[in-house]
Amino acid sequence: MEDEKRIGVYVCWCGTNIAKMVDVERVAKEIENLPDVVIAKNYKYMCSDPGQELIINDIKEHNLNRVVVSACSPRIHELTFRKALENAGLNPYMFEMANIREHVAWVHEDRGEATKKARALVAAAVNRIKWHESLDKRTVEIDPATLVIGGGIAGLSAALEIADSGKKVFLVEKSGKLGGQVANIDLTFPYMDSARQLINPKIEKVTNHPNIEVYLNCTIDEVFGYVGNFETKFSQNGKEVELKFGSVIVATGLKTFDPSGIEGYGYGKIPSVVTSLEFEEMLKKGEILTREGKEPKNIAIIHCVGSRNVDYHEYCSRTCCMVALKFANQIKSAIPDANVYDLYADMRAFGKGCEEFYTETSRKEVMFLMFDQQEDLPKIRAAAPEDGCGILIEVNEKLSGETIEVPADMVVLMVGVEAQENAKEIAHAVGVSMCGNDFYIERHPKLDPVATTTDGVYVVGGCQSPKDIPDSVSQAKAAASRILATINFGSVEVEVTTAVVNEDLCCGCQTCVSVCPYSAIKYDEEKKVSVVNEILCKGCGTCGSTCPTGAIRSRHFTDKQILSQIEGLLSISNELQEV
Amino acid sequence: MSYQPTIVSFLCNWCSYTGADLAGTSRMKYAPNIRIIRVMCSGRVDPTFVLSAFKEGADGVLICGCHPGDCHYHEGNYKCLRRYHLLQKYLDQMGLEKGRLRLEWISASEGKQFAQLADEFTEQIKQLGPCKVKETVENLT
Repeated sequence: MEDEKRIGVYVCWCGTNIAKMVDVERVAKEIENLPDVVIAKNYKYMCSDPGQELIINDIKEHNLNRVVVSACSPRIHELTFRKALENAGLNPYMFEMANIREHVAWVHEDRGEATKKARALVAAAVNRIKWHESLDKRTVEIDPATLVIGGGIAGLSAALEIADSGKKVFLVEKSGKLGGQVANIDLTFPYMDSARQLINPKIEKVTNHPNIEVYLNCTIDEVFGYVGNFETKFSQNGKEVELKFGSVIVATGLKTFDPSGIEGYGYGKIPSVVTSLEFEEMLKKGEILTREGKEPKNIAIIHCVGSRNVDYHEYCSRTCCMVALKFANQIKSAIPDANVYDLYADMRAFGKGCEEFYTETSRKEVMFLMFDQQEDLPKIRAAAPEDGCGILIEVNEKLSGETIEVPADMVVLMVGVEAQENAKEIAHAVGVSMCGNDFYIERHPKLDPVATTTDGVYVVGGCQSPKDIPDSVSQAKAAASRILATINFGSVEVEVTTAVVNEDLCCGCQTCVSVCPYSAIKYDEEKKVSVVNEILCKGCGTCGSTCPTGAIRSRHFTDKQILSQIEGLLSISNELQEV
Repeated sequence: MSYQPTIVSFLCNWCSYTGADLAGTSRMKYAPNIRIIRVMCSGRVDPTFVLSAFKEGADGVLICGCHPGDCHYHEGNYKCLRRYHLLQKYLDQMGLEKGRLRLEWISASEGKQFAQLADEFTEQIKQLGPCKVKETVENLT
């Protein structure tokens, strides 16, 4: 008989992460006293294979029909445990998680209070799960076309990977040409390969690929639909373009920081203070010249411009240190008797071949001077005629403790990178979230680094965080292979936590119709009731909280479930006897 | 020990719940009085949930959603905002202090703001003292 509720509760230690702050054993013992709880256990790592085995065996042995795991955030392991339930023959929605790591153990300092709160959260989950219902999976077919937004190295790599396997790609680029940031640079670190040789063949291949349609000078304002079945509309040269696709790769890249705002650097005021991007331009042309058109004899390179400083951007832009070393090498080979001064805060040489590149560069008579990035930036000023150089830089050298005046004819500012200006618009159009710096957030920073919380939408390259070429390409190909796998499978499972109308209760007031952001609810004139289109419904539940008669239920977030959770959180957890 | 209020907090899955998770992963410390319930959208927060929380003994209710314009479901947070104002009036008419219910916007990157808000709201409720709704209801029945 389904009505008999047999609940298994599992309290995870997460090693010492939870166990240090929460008395997991006590929580399990106390929870075991609650009605309908058949068994309550605690275990070191519930998400591990033995942890999942424990649940699966108990489901079979004790005939459990509901499982509560009290561990980390459901955003991390809800799917893991739902799968375990399925393996044991239970419906995956007969599961609930209580978050006692992120919301308890990691944020509180009093073990007694933390244990009490953990107990309340578990009691709430137990009370909620009594009203859980089995939900049937829904699968939708996948449109095999993919939309790639952005035509830089990441977008091009992803597009080629997918198109080469015979699937259609629409590549939309906001500027008038493909290539992105890589097209702006001369050589690449640490192997000094030509960027042109990397990017040009890719641009050519993409442009001529039978499976790729390129749209230049176009932006995506809105994407409609859901995983497997998206569509968008935009105009190109006054002509309306309509595209249908099953997956989206966002590869919108990044832009460089504008250093005009840094007072002491004199960018825009002192001639021959240039940005790294402007210096790349000179290298591409093959002539390093000051504003006066002379060959510089003293060149200073300043790191971390706009990066790693709370006044500008707190994060590290990742590539500038190695680009600075690349510049030092290129200057030394173009003007062998030039003096190169490299003013750095910390030398970050983390990638493959990069530390070796640093060692090699430091043997080339490049003068490295360290400064304090937080408190004491170097000061750049125009020199007097008698100084014999155009610019003077005063730097409090950190290692020697001395104040050094560096003469320069040219200063290269290693500008950091930041999110694109239209990052927010794109985020809204495709439904991805942004972190505080306007870079896009991946589904999981370690375990799911290219997917997002919107199924079917992936983020790759510089739009996700500052990145070098190899990392951007790796992400692009990772997203492409994820998409190809779903296309190959042909269909994808979608959330079934949609709204449903109880026609007997519906009074036909149509309030739900007016609040639905997806126009997923229609009024059936014949039956005089509202009807939910489950394909369009995304399960936000707004209709459920609007319905005056309670006719609309938000599956898996029903009134009964949430009200029971509240009751468990407050009264039931207080009634629990301490053991 | 000083009076420790119990606060129920409804957080939307996409912004605020993730923000609270971030407070955790960043090991930011805040008052243990806040107990979180996850909803998919702040627009799902039915006024009944809030009233029921007070009835079951909550001293305060905190609702958090995505910042205006950032709702994962486009406009659920606006619907929540409208209901919040109505609910405030209703609570007032019932004789309950308006300060016991609060709506704030917390994005997925605002772990620090969530931790601060939790402390601040706990302090706010401590000032108001225990909520009498549960007791009153029990005396009536």
